[in-house]
Amino acid sequence: MIQANPPVLVAQGIGHLARTFFREVGSVFWFIVNTFEETFERIQHGRVPFRAVSFFRHTERAGVDSVPLVGLVSFFLGLTMALLTGYQLQRFGTQRLIPGLVAIGFTRELGPLLTGIMLAARIGAAFTAELGTMQVSEEVEAIEAMGIGPLRFLVAPRMLALVLLMPCLSTVSNIAAIIASSLVCKAYFSIAFPYFLDLVKDSLLIRDIITGILKSFLFGLLIAAIACYRGLTVKGGAAGVGTATTSSVVTAITTVIGFDTLYNVVYTTFYPT
Amino acid sequence: MTKPAHMVELRDVQVQFEEKKVLDDFSLKVDPRERLVIMGQTGSGKSTILRLILGTLRPDAGSIFFKHFEITRLQRRKLQHVRQHIGMVYQYSALLSSRNVRDNVALPLEELTDKSRSEIDKVVDGKLELVGMKDSRDLLPEELSGGMRKRVALARALVLEPELILLDEPSAGLDPVIASVIDELIISLSETAKVTSITVTHEMDSAFRIGTRMAMLYQGKIIEEAEPEKFKQSKNPVVAQFLSGSTEGPILEGSLDAITKK
Repeated sequence: MIQANPPVLVAQGIGHLARTFFREVGSVFWFIVNTFEETFERIQHGRVPFRAVSFFRHTERAGVDSVPLVGLVSFFLGLTMALLTGYQLQRFGTQRLIPGLVAIGFTRELGPLLTGIMLAARIGAAFTAELGTMQVSEEVEAIEAMGIGPLRFLVAPRMLALVLLMPCLSTVSNIAAIIASSLVCKAYFSIAFPYFLDLVKDSLLIRDIITGILKSFLFGLLIAAIACYRGLTVKGGAAGVGTATTSSVVTAITTVIGFDTLYNVVYTTFYPT
Repeated sequence: MTKPAHMVELRDVQVQFEEKKVLDDFSLKVDPRERLVIMGQTGSGKSTILRLILGTLRPDAGSIFFKHFEITRLQRRKLQHVRQHIGMVYQYSALLSSRNVRDNVALPLEELTDKSRSEIDKVVDGKLELVGMKDSRDLLPEELSGGMRKRVALARALVLEPELILLDEPSAGLDPVIASVIDELIISLSETAKVTSITVTHEMDSAFRIGTRMAMLYQGKIIEEAEPEKFKQSKNPVVAQFLSGSTEGPILEGSLDAITKK
């Protein structure tokens, strides 16, 4: 028997992984395109693509119900960030940089990223499990058999809810972190609230806010698309739903972090300062 | 290619799942107002035939027609439109678990028609009355028994007044009385609303009660096709064994040896 060369095996493994990766990326891309197509076709026919009740049910679950979690986690992170960076900056007498650091850090980067990770875990998992259960119990096929587009009916309201609510939740995250850092600044570094606010306003640019909001829209779309795609492609009954849910959360979190990096690389190329 | 004059036609269809050939050059014709019953062993591909007709599954080869539409060639939008003329009752009912009985039955009307809420309620009540479920309109699927779910699924399949109804094991897992009720409903639909039906089942009593024509699916092909009385007299050893439920015959050949050796 011919023994395979170890470098060949490694190359084969990399090739296999790359093929799987690109196939998955392509599938999610076409999933988004088909969802848009089905939804706009319906609108072109002068009909609402999905019922408002369905949309508001998802916005409530994804948005309103996520506010405490997003707010609390961001608050604690804001506290920690201000405290740790504050002591380092104090050594150089530059603790007045804390407000700007936290404000820019959260508005541009940590707010959307943390919210994306939290929503991928909380809402992405729920979407995958819900749609996966519908898939294995033939409910999705029954919808399709009636002549109703399952992407428009099931995916579009979830996608729109998450896309619209991500920027709102990112804003909640930013505000919670800034409030937390203002408390730390007051308690440990003697920076009064009005001065803290002035420092935040001085350091924060409109560009930072827009960057954060754009990222949030993108993360919302990615999390919803990955979660719904994984749910609708479940195979293998209850065990399959469990596997798909885990995979959905891991993929969504990895994708959000990956896209965040890519976005930052592109952004800093065009706006280096 | 000639367009068929039948309600449904499958021509030389091939379906393969991984290594297993489920349908092998399979052909079938169904005329309007017929009640065709397809019998066969579990896993023989009966439900696959229904999915092919609905277009939720694409064959590896062959053509499928519903009236003059070639299902296998239709674009998604046209296929969705054609599906509105076909009602499907799934083996496990496939009711939407988050919606109550009324909302399940109303779903196709809400999504696909311009009817007002009061008009929808009127149609839904009519269909629920037809299947004897009007008093359960506010219950959730989890609060219903298997027979009740089947009846709601039948009401949902009928709500758009389809020309063809596909039934996947309509009486499987039901007690004989409820099974008879479902069978009677299917027969009365065919006679009053002139609906064509294709039922797949391996429940003998139900099959012979419903069918105006019987077909036996074995190893991916229809091996016998006849009216119920003639079908019962079939000399085909597979059909004879299937109808008698005997362990002696070609169906378990090989596999029975393996079982007894264990």
